[in-house]
Amino acid sequence: MLKRFLFVFFALFVTLSLVLSTIGCAEEGAKGPQVLRVNLAGEPLTIDPVKASWADHISVASQCFEGLLGFTKELELKAVVAKQIPTTGNGGISEDGKTYTFKLRSDVTWSDGEKVKAQDFEYSIKRMLSPDTAADYASFYYDIVGAEAYNGGTGTADAVAVDAIDDTTLEVKLVKVRPTFPQVMALWPSWPTREDIVTQYGSQWTEPPHYIGNGPFILTEWVHQDHMTFEANPNYWGKKPKLERIEYKMITDGNVELAAYKNNELDMARVPIGSEKTIMADSELNPQTIRYYDLSTFAFQFNVTKAPFDKKLVRKAIATGIDRVAFIDNVRRGIGKPATSWIPPGMPGHDATLGSEYSFDATKAKDLLSQAGYPNGTGLPAIKFTFADTATNRVIAEFLQGQMKTNLNINISLEPMEPSAFSAYVNAEQHQWAWFGWGADYPDPDNWLPDIFGTGAGNNHTAYANPAFDALCDEAAQELDNTKRLEKYAEAQVMIVDDLPIVPMFFRERFWLVKPSVKGLITTGLDHTCPGDLFYTVVYMESE
Amino acid sequence: MAVAAESARPHHTLWGDAFVRLRRNRLAVAGAIIIISLALASIIVPLVSPYEFDEQNLNAILEGPSHAHLLGTDGLGRDVFTRLFYGARTSLAVGIFVQFIVLAIGLPIGALAGYAGGRVDNLLMRFVDVMFAFPDLLLIILIRAILGGSIYMIFLAIGLVAWVNLARLIRGQILSLKQRDFITAARAMGGSGPYITLRHLLPNSLGPVIVLVTFGIPRAIFAEAALSYIGIGIKPPTPSWGTMIQDGYNNIFGAPYLVLFPAIAVGILMLAFTFLGDGLRDALDPRERR
Amino acid sequence: MLKYSIRRLFWIVLVLFVVAFITFSLMHLVPGGPWDREKALAPQVIENLNKKYGLDKPFYEQFGDYLWNLLHGDLGVSYRYQDRGVTEIILEGLPKTATLGGIAFLIAILIGIPLGMAAALKQNSIIDYMSVFFSTLFASIPGFVLGILLILLFSVTLHLLPTGGWGGFDHIIMPAFALAALPAAYIARVTRASMLDVLRQDYIRTARAKGLSERVVLVRHTLRNAMIPVLTVTGPELAYLITGSVIIESVFSIPGIGRLFVQGVQQRDYGLIMGATLFYAFAIALANYVVDVLYGVVDPRIRYE
Repeated sequence: MLKRFLFVFFALFVTLSLVLSTIGCAEEGAKGPQVLRVNLAGEPLTIDPVKASWADHISVASQCFEGLLGFTKELELKAVVAKQIPTTGNGGISEDGKTYTFKLRSDVTWSDGEKVKAQDFEYSIKRMLSPDTAADYASFYYDIVGAEAYNGGTGTADAVAVDAIDDTTLEVKLVKVRPTFPQVMALWPSWPTREDIVTQYGSQWTEPPHYIGNGPFILTEWVHQDHMTFEANPNYWGKKPKLERIEYKMITDGNVELAAYKNNELDMARVPIGSEKTIMADSELNPQTIRYYDLSTFAFQFNVTKAPFDKKLVRKAIATGIDRVAFIDNVRRGIGKPATSWIPPGMPGHDATLGSEYSFDATKAKDLLSQAGYPNGTGLPAIKFTFADTATNRVIAEFLQGQMKTNLNINISLEPMEPSAFSAYVNAEQHQWAWFGWGADYPDPDNWLPDIFGTGAGNNHTAYANPAFDALCDEAAQELDNTKRLEKYAEAQVMIVDDLPIVPMFFRERFWLVKPSVKGLITTGLDHTCPGDLFYTVVYMESE
Repeated sequence: MAVAAESARPHHTLWGDAFVRLRRNRLAVAGAIIIISLALASIIVPLVSPYEFDEQNLNAILEGPSHAHLLGTDGLGRDVFTRLFYGARTSLAVGIFVQFIVLAIGLPIGALAGYAGGRVDNLLMRFVDVMFAFPDLLLIILIRAILGGSIYMIFLAIGLVAWVNLARLIRGQILSLKQRDFITAARAMGGSGPYITLRHLLPNSLGPVIVLVTFGIPRAIFAEAALSYIGIGIKPPTPSWGTMIQDGYNNIFGAPYLVLFPAIAVGILMLAFTFLGDGLRDALDPRERR
Repeated sequence: MLKYSIRRLFWIVLVLFVVAFITFSLMHLVPGGPWDREKALAPQVIENLNKKYGLDKPFYEQFGDYLWNLLHGDLGVSYRYQDRGVTEIILEGLPKTATLGGIAFLIAILIGIPLGMAAALKQNSIIDYMSVFFSTLFASIPGFVLGILLILLFSVTLHLLPTGGWGGFDHIIMPAFALAALPAAYIARVTRASMLDVLRQDYIRTARAKGLSERVVLVRHTLRNAMIPVLTVTGPELAYLITGSVIIESVFSIPGIGRLFVQGVQQRDYGLIMGATLFYAFAIALANYVVDVLYGVVDPRIRYE
């Protein structure tokens, strides 16, 4: 009797689930001919260009907005909404180098048909600098007169020297000369936004259909935590994109992303770290892989005020005692490049031979440690290496621990921390030794040196303070001759590589899978999250 | 008069008798042997193994099971077999000791609430409601910040929130049982509250309690892994079954055995406790006393 | 019953207040705050933000403000999701999580309870051993592993189901099963244990001796008495399923509320943490209340003095 009872239950249940599974089998984003599907790997916390800070925010904003200037695929500056890049030659930069005049094109339109005017830029930049906005990148624009005061809450918006002289002219005055200012004006915090829309809708303006931009795509749908849909902007002033639609999914799990790619739900996917070997060995997937450097360096960051890292010889010993080549070749299967210097390949200023004295040499490392006063690792204070808790960081931390023990006989303890606590810890310089990574915002050493190693700089968490370095960077920042400027920065980098407030570990290389139907993809080192997301206008799909 | 015959009957205590019966239950004995063997192996294997648990071999990364490495190697070339048994130390400790904390807190609270009823029950259960909803992650992060992240924090952190289910379970059982005739009889015979609870109510409620405890073991093991990631408890490179599964997850496409072996270990431990627990419940069943 | 319910409601409100206070306090004591990011913000900007969100006020004032707003039904704004209201965020994700949780719950009890009963009635049979095997299996495989295995089988190999997201029923099946696996195993074992306990009682023997059919014995006597522990366990399981699992929702990309609490804590999003915690507190208090009421229904001897 019980058996019958159970049988009925199970039969009902199985039938029910079968029936349910066939009802409303909604076609998952029916793939039309020109639709690109990529994974954004999470819900962006904001897509307001002036507030954007992380790669996923910028990736979204860059499909829908364009600024005065931009970058070519060779990472050179180009004029976008501006008619030309301001130079002293064309009068765009004043004699003293402190006033920039941008002449805008008159044919640039918003996606609702309105014309893009210089006032839009003025409004947007001032909003970005407003203390209420709390834009992460506001400090990048502190060279503008009145910007720092306004952002800090002591100044007014009117005192910020960004003025729309007329509909097609924008004038910006700087506190001091800054040769890299045009590059900063190519970045997303300077992109235009519509005053009337932001005023009317407040913080909800980033929801479609209010997310009005001047870029090649329009955000037509945003299902929170699920996906975003972009469609080609019919009112786009420039060359229309070939794609009809882009879908940004929000799959947070790396393995699931790969599964979705294999199931033809995505046209591109990251190769999860740890699966490189399998993917490379897979005859079907291997030809679909692409790899390229993304202008980022990862390093071990010291706090040079904490023993034993206050001794340069100790830092040098450690730098020489890490077998980066083995890590990249064996653990990462060759993805990435061992780094002994700071500025990555693809950036002006990258020096491939710099730091060669730190190539792995266990004997030399031990020797240096002895010279530092800690023969064979004896006498060292306790060392704690802190990092944010992710599986990949763990591997790196454990690798480091193994290297220190094997090559230098130093025992370090590992301290994973959750991301918020880790950020707070490092920003307050409480760490001894931590994991650190930096990615280029724009392709210039300006972005890589003064802000990270300058005395008291916002992103300097190494407590490194070198007046000679500061002086060199100041000179370089004001040097108008580009060759001389780069030379000065090269010297500055040499200082860093010699003083070692950080021990470089590797330059990151992206390793992705791309379906053969995706054509025309242009990858650059400045790509935000997904390969080619700077140039989706030229991508098209071609089914085999 | 049969008095002489009755007093010649040997005196069996509930628990003594239970132990004898337990011994006769083959599955339960098997379970006990497995647990003890795991504990012993966790000490012995890392001592006799040719590999250290944290010994990295960058030339033998992500290799499957072979002669040299019985269960393969992980992402840094470490021997999985050695790590699995070394990790048993933490996982066994966490899995088992947390249950002690759960029992130590949950049993008295649940029993008291159930037996006393009324206001006591209400107050205790509302306290339980608060603990159910307690933002344990926040407390754990705070504990870590103040008291550091030692291994004992793990037992506390996991145990202090896990006991609520047991309390509710025991209370429910006792609420139902205490109305029963045999309890009324025991009370009539002059049994006090604690005596009745220990001698009659608890042994009769054991079944579901044992299930909760056995399920609590893998739960505790996985909770420990999650905590290890935010810096509480064991630090890398010390392995535990939970952290091995979590770390291995990233390589699941290429090296599924990294997840498989620790998961099997967890399963075996849980199975052993299931058999032992079932046997214990059978052994303590007053109905089957000789 | 009505008096009891009203009294309970009062206590639920008190519980919520206590939970709110504890959470609020812990939140502000924990190191790190909502403005801690890798690229440190300028100190004046942080000051400004704190002023904007009232974080510079003394603790009791902040808590008072929060409670005041709460009484008006305002759960505040999320600090990280750029001023989106917490209520809005919860209401957006809740239907999806609740649907998924509800379906998973149904699966769990539709599989768990019959399986547990069968295992108890045929102790030490094949069914019993199978139930032990499967319950151990699903308890020792963490949710994310089970999830990826299901995806590997049904999406990647068989191309039958999508890997995740929210849509028609083919999006719900896998996460529902993955979510239901452990509760089903647990419910099955608890049912079995409880039934075994009851089956051994004298009154069952009496009922059988009286000549009652097995069916009557089962339904009228065994089941009702065995339900107490099952109820105790399924109540919180339902609350847990309805408020969502961070792991399953992450693996299957379900845009629900499961991740809210954990994400909120990670980002120190005070608004979200409070909202998610209070929501869960309410759900669990409600669930325990319903369970207590059902105790009385199932076993009329239970009284709450």
